[in-house]
Amino acid sequence: MSFAFSPENLGKIEKLRSRYPSPKALTLPLLWLVQEQEGYIPGEAFDAIAEITTWSPMDIYKSASFYTMLRFEPAGKYHIKICRSLSCTLCGQAMLYRHLREKLGIKAGETTADGRFTIERVECLGSCGTAPAMQINDIYYEELNTLKLDTILENLP
Amino acid sequence: MSKVKITVDGRVIEADDGALLIEVLLANGVDIPHFCYHEALGPDGNCRMCMVKLQGAKRPQIACDTFVCDGMEVSLKDPEIRTTVQRILELELINHPIDCPTCDQAGECRLQDYYMEYGLYDSSFENYQKIHHAKHTDLGSNVMLDQERCVLCARCTRFTSNITKTNELGIIGRGDEAHVSTMPGKTLDNPYAMNIIDLCPVGALTSRDFRFARRVWFLGSAPSVCHGCDRGCNITIDHDRPKNGTETIYRFRPRKNERINGHFICDAGRLSYREHNENRQLQIIREGQSIGREEALEAFEQMIGSQKRIMILADANLYNEDLRAIKWYAKEIGALLFVPLESYRDESFGDDWLRSSMRAANARGVENMGINREVSGGYDIDVLINFNHPTPHMIAAGEFIEFQTHQSTNADLIFPLAMFSEYGGTLTNRDNITQDCMQAVNPSGMSLSAQEWVKLLPRRS
Repeated sequence: MSFAFSPENLGKIEKLRSRYPSPKALTLPLLWLVQEQEGYIPGEAFDAIAEITTWSPMDIYKSASFYTMLRFEPAGKYHIKICRSLSCTLCGQAMLYRHLREKLGIKAGETTADGRFTIERVECLGSCGTAPAMQINDIYYEELNTLKLDTILENLP
Repeated sequence: MSKVKITVDGRVIEADDGALLIEVLLANGVDIPHFCYHEALGPDGNCRMCMVKLQGAKRPQIACDTFVCDGMEVSLKDPEIRTTVQRILELELINHPIDCPTCDQAGECRLQDYYMEYGLYDSSFENYQKIHHAKHTDLGSNVMLDQERCVLCARCTRFTSNITKTNELGIIGRGDEAHVSTMPGKTLDNPYAMNIIDLCPVGALTSRDFRFARRVWFLGSAPSVCHGCDRGCNITIDHDRPKNGTETIYRFRPRKNERINGHFICDAGRLSYREHNENRQLQIIREGQSIGREEALEAFEQMIGSQKRIMILADANLYNEDLRAIKWYAKEIGALLFVPLESYRDESFGDDWLRSSMRAANARGVENMGINREVSGGYDIDVLINFNHPTPHMIAAGEFIEFQTHQSTNADLIFPLAMFSEYGGTLTNRDNITQDCMQAVNPSGMSLSAQEWVKLLPRRS
């Protein structure tokens, strides 16, 4: 397996480069680009980023591991991110999480065998007014309850 | 640089203006607790153990980020400081396993020492479920990682990033998930990797080689010099005689010498201690039979005869004293003496740091003594006497007398020779620095040092 930036992303990198005084500052933007391109950050990407930023691959790996939103394994087709912060907890996110777990038979951080769903518990989604909230890929679902959750999952293509 | 005076718990210490406080304290024998600071790696400021009270400062400061100025008043014994250090220690120990009874580091563990000095508190955590990490990860290069014991001081990662510049190690993740790791699918792989075992202040990194071999407080230590090449890195030989066993060397550790090796040695040198315990020549052998010393010396006298042409080869790892004795003896019996150095050259071994491609500890000593270093031209030799030179068969001779440390060459008469750990002497390294090596253990079996054999050897009648 090997990793290479797409030609489109290489163009973006050149634009980003002019923004910073040193290529070292490109670390985080490049990690985001990789995740956008591949859906996760494959091990080979560390070498590719290290080459551009002039850090060592270990420096990139260290930085990447600090951020929980960067993934090192591919997620399922539907990446369910369920909020576990204060407002959502008060409005019953624990019940939703338990329901999801039973329904899909996986825990947070796991992916179903058919590769369809990944569950992840995340910190505040910034949707406290409409708690409990979750995200499936980049789409918000708000004011959830177990019934609503079932309908949402059933209507996914 | 101008000198200033500072006061440490009432004691006046003179220091360079602007020097790092922790360095001044350590240089003056003040026992300040620290994990992350190391002389070779510099300060990192992550462990927070080196707290001191500075007169005029609002709160405790870390000594590894404080620079000395004139009239500075420092206190380590202040009750506030002791409480602060104790609390930092308590945080380090929240998830630390109680492994001391089975941990190799016990006895030379900073965490243990500091707990006895500053800790001794009742735990605030009752019924607390500790966070568990991987207990035995093989990082490669004989290094085992027990993440639960780690204090995240980053000495090991700074060694790979700043000193060897191989960048194999890093601290991955954050908070209580943080752990030392190699890149996915990669291992620790450099010829100096085992130094991180000494750098690790706790039992997180232990040597696969020394694991569970011996409790460190049983070990005796002798200062010596590595014989792996002509760099002359300073080492400590750790040895012990187990109950009902024979004297054994358990490990070599680097010994600080700023002029030569700093704080480190290479892994090849470190593991060369094994040679002292394995496959040693213990008896005097003639035609496959073990014989006594008197009989052997008589046989020796007959073999060298009165008219025979004799050549002596000597090992370039022998001490200066041995070489001097052999040189004297060669002259005494009218023998040719050679120490061919080409046999020791190994270009694949050398690098631009500590490893040198001349793999003979006393090559420079041989040169200084003016001994012939190459065998040129053909010699018609009746008897060859070899003092442990590795390639005696380059000389064709009628009879062959061997003084050897290891069972390697077959000869008409074999005398056992002591290894460098078994007696003391001096070595001259490539930079012409002559250093002492101390005796660590007693000579094994019937072996004697080359100088002692020479004293016993008969002259020609």
